[in-house]
Amino acid sequence: MSSFWKDTARDVRLMKRGWRWGHRAQVPRSAEPFVPPATTTVFDNEWSRKPAARAVREVAQAGLEAVFRSQVKTQVEGLDVLERLDGPVIFVANHASHLDTPLILLSLPDEWRRRTAVAAAADYFFDTWWRAVGSSLVFNTLPIDRRGGALANAPGEVLADGWSLVVFPEGTRSKDGTVGRFRSGAAYLAIEYGVPVVPIAHRGTYAAMPRGVSWPGKDKAGGRRQLTVRFGDPLRPTDGESVREFAPRIRSAVSRLLDEDATDWYASMRRAAEDRTPDPAGEEIAEWRKVWAATESPDPEPDKIRAWRR
Amino acid sequence: MTRPGFVLEVDDRTPPLLVHEGLGFRLEEFPQGTRVIYPPESLPTVPDVEEAIRESLENPVDSEPLRELMFPGMRLTIAFDDLSLPLPTMKAPDIRGRIIEQVLTIAAEKGVDDVEIIAALALHRRMTDAEMRHIVGERVFRSFAPSGKLYNHDAEDRSNLEHMGQTEKGEDVEINKRAATSDLLIYVNVNLVAMDGGHKSVGIGLASYKSIKHHHNAKTMVHSRSFMDHKHSEMHSSAWRMGRLIGEHVKVFQIETTLDNEVFGKPYDTLLKREWEWSLRDQATVLGLRRGLAVAPQKMRHKMFHDLRSNYGLTGITAGAVEPVHELTVQRVHQQQRVKVEGQSDVMVMGVPYLGPYNVNSTMNPILAACMGLGYYFNSYLRQPVVREGGVAILYHPLDEGFNTLTHPSYVDFYEEVLADTTDPALIGPKFEEQFATDPWYVHLYRTSNAYHGVHPFYMWYWIAHALDHLGDVIWVGGNPKAAARMGFRSASTLRDALEMASSTVGPSPSITYLRNPPHLLADVR
Repeated sequence: MSSFWKDTARDVRLMKRGWRWGHRAQVPRSAEPFVPPATTTVFDNEWSRKPAARAVREVAQAGLEAVFRSQVKTQVEGLDVLERLDGPVIFVANHASHLDTPLILLSLPDEWRRRTAVAAAADYFFDTWWRAVGSSLVFNTLPIDRRGGALANAPGEVLADGWSLVVFPEGTRSKDGTVGRFRSGAAYLAIEYGVPVVPIAHRGTYAAMPRGVSWPGKDKAGGRRQLTVRFGDPLRPTDGESVREFAPRIRSAVSRLLDEDATDWYASMRRAAEDRTPDPAGEEIAEWRKVWAATESPDPEPDKIRAWRR
Repeated sequence: MTRPGFVLEVDDRTPPLLVHEGLGFRLEEFPQGTRVIYPPESLPTVPDVEEAIRESLENPVDSEPLRELMFPGMRLTIAFDDLSLPLPTMKAPDIRGRIIEQVLTIAAEKGVDDVEIIAALALHRRMTDAEMRHIVGERVFRSFAPSGKLYNHDAEDRSNLEHMGQTEKGEDVEINKRAATSDLLIYVNVNLVAMDGGHKSVGIGLASYKSIKHHHNAKTMVHSRSFMDHKHSEMHSSAWRMGRLIGEHVKVFQIETTLDNEVFGKPYDTLLKREWEWSLRDQATVLGLRRGLAVAPQKMRHKMFHDLRSNYGLTGITAGAVEPVHELTVQRVHQQQRVKVEGQSDVMVMGVPYLGPYNVNSTMNPILAACMGLGYYFNSYLRQPVVREGGVAILYHPLDEGFNTLTHPSYVDFYEEVLADTTDPALIGPKFEEQFATDPWYVHLYRTSNAYHGVHPFYMWYWIAHALDHLGDVIWVGGNPKAAARMGFRSASTLRDALEMASSTVGPSPSITYLRNPPHLLADVR
């Protein structure tokens, strides 16, 4: 009988490893063309913006913050832009990791954080009831169809109700740490509902917790990884500006902020004026080099003279 | 939407893959780079089976409608495939019963009194009444069996065999006399794989040993490349010559049916799914089944598997003249099972399941396991074998089920006497076949009991002749070493060991292809 339990344990281990229990299932690369289109059941989460859910979220986010701060270091810049705004806004950020959402939410002042929802892929965060409930309660997520279909909870209605919205226009986490193509959903919402766009650039989340990793890693010295996040001046569509024209402006603003975060404000402004802002999509170089660069945590104060070597 | 078959390349994202091995299965971690052939998903089934049957009988291919072929006072014989098809046995009602019912409805309307229904089992074992009833349905069974008008073909009943002549190659054509002397012979097929049907139905299913021995021999089988491609199969060529001769004497109305790939019903349907798409429930089912099978006694495992009924659905039915009907059938089978594969590999891996055509409600003895793997699966190809000449076949089966002396009495002697002497198909035929084929005790058991004909184990060995001729080595993972050695093979405990053993033949880093079968597949190797 002992061999039965031994074999059972071996089977369980094999299945746990093979089917990545606790993680999302993966499809072998050669089978990817044969994956059927997802027929996602989207779970409605309008309840998550009611007072009771907001109370639960307050507690959940307090717990989240404690865990988050214990695992990563953050440096937040540019929050003063929010002082000049009072209505709902659309926060637009680059997307490299599951850490992006807590980083942005926990960087916001409390009064903003409590009234901010996060646009999340319906096929990823709302395909099971428990994922929908979990992400709604903790992050105030809002299901978005990345393939462009209509959903019951139109983000516009949420904006109209006075909620701000975090949007990751790339639609998915970066595979190599660089910034991908921006879809035009955020620009469309801003024009349609007349709300400003606040660009956000953050760095370091890819290095801390890239795709396929479920917990933030440590740096070489075993310390917490550094994350930086920078809020930019709000962008408003000009009269008659189309979605096609506004969307690239948003991406340029995020690019400039990334440049600013890596260098300094004035230098980044000079480069922007001369249209020399580095493309965050990266150069045409081997993928490994992009990944290599992105796995380096940002140094928020590169020129600081240190008394002690780190 | 039916997804096509494809060739998976095992990578770091690939979970362990399911491999059948007799009354069980295992989850195997294949080396990265291994190719795995997955068949297409099930094709859409016909929306209304009764209507599809009616349509095929009223609008046959190259033939008058069935109704017009019938007249009062005629001799009508209906033959049908025996329990070797489909695998596993179909959930009731069996498609053959539904077809026969409609044929008989027309016959009754046309005033046909002289009707006999014959199970075309060639040299297979007689079916029991229950097995027969399952296939034809209660209504047909009750109307014909008690009066002896529904019966198993007897290839040893000299008084009921008709020698119809010889083909241009000198092959004797001798079939069931009742069928040969009928005004109309209707054959009801289940075309599970591409080798079934065509002239093989009447020409073999209703034939005698004298006729069958012309193509069921080592020489013909080695040149059948493959059985699944009747245009390149010597065995089929012989059957076609015989069938055309039969057609000169008796009007044959062929009805062929094709099925989808729903091999297992619930809860075993998980075993048909692509592994990386297993839900948590599927994973729990597989884990539960594996652990349950690990503690279940052999008898219970046998019952668990052999009580399984398939969920096959009808993808098409065609009736009429044998050859044009068969062409359409083959197209549908290919559509369901064909997978394009680029190039051969050094090693071919096959999991031999609990069931083959010749152990329905019986045991998968080592000879049948060899036949299933090296006969059927190995030959599931078009153009060229999946494995290169001189390559290695790795099969999974415990080879431990022993022999059922009721159904396979001559297999015991074949295993103990013939294989102990030689395993060369070309040698065993001339030396031993006649003795087994004419042994009065085996003939008696075949005719009166439920035993396969005395010569049947030889045919199993001939089935694998092409594989033995082609391969450099055969290794059984988890196979009983004694049984494997008796058959001239080797055994290994794990895939890793088997690959290590194979390295002396194909080198240390061979290309590997695993046939993920069932569901049924046909590798079109370019």
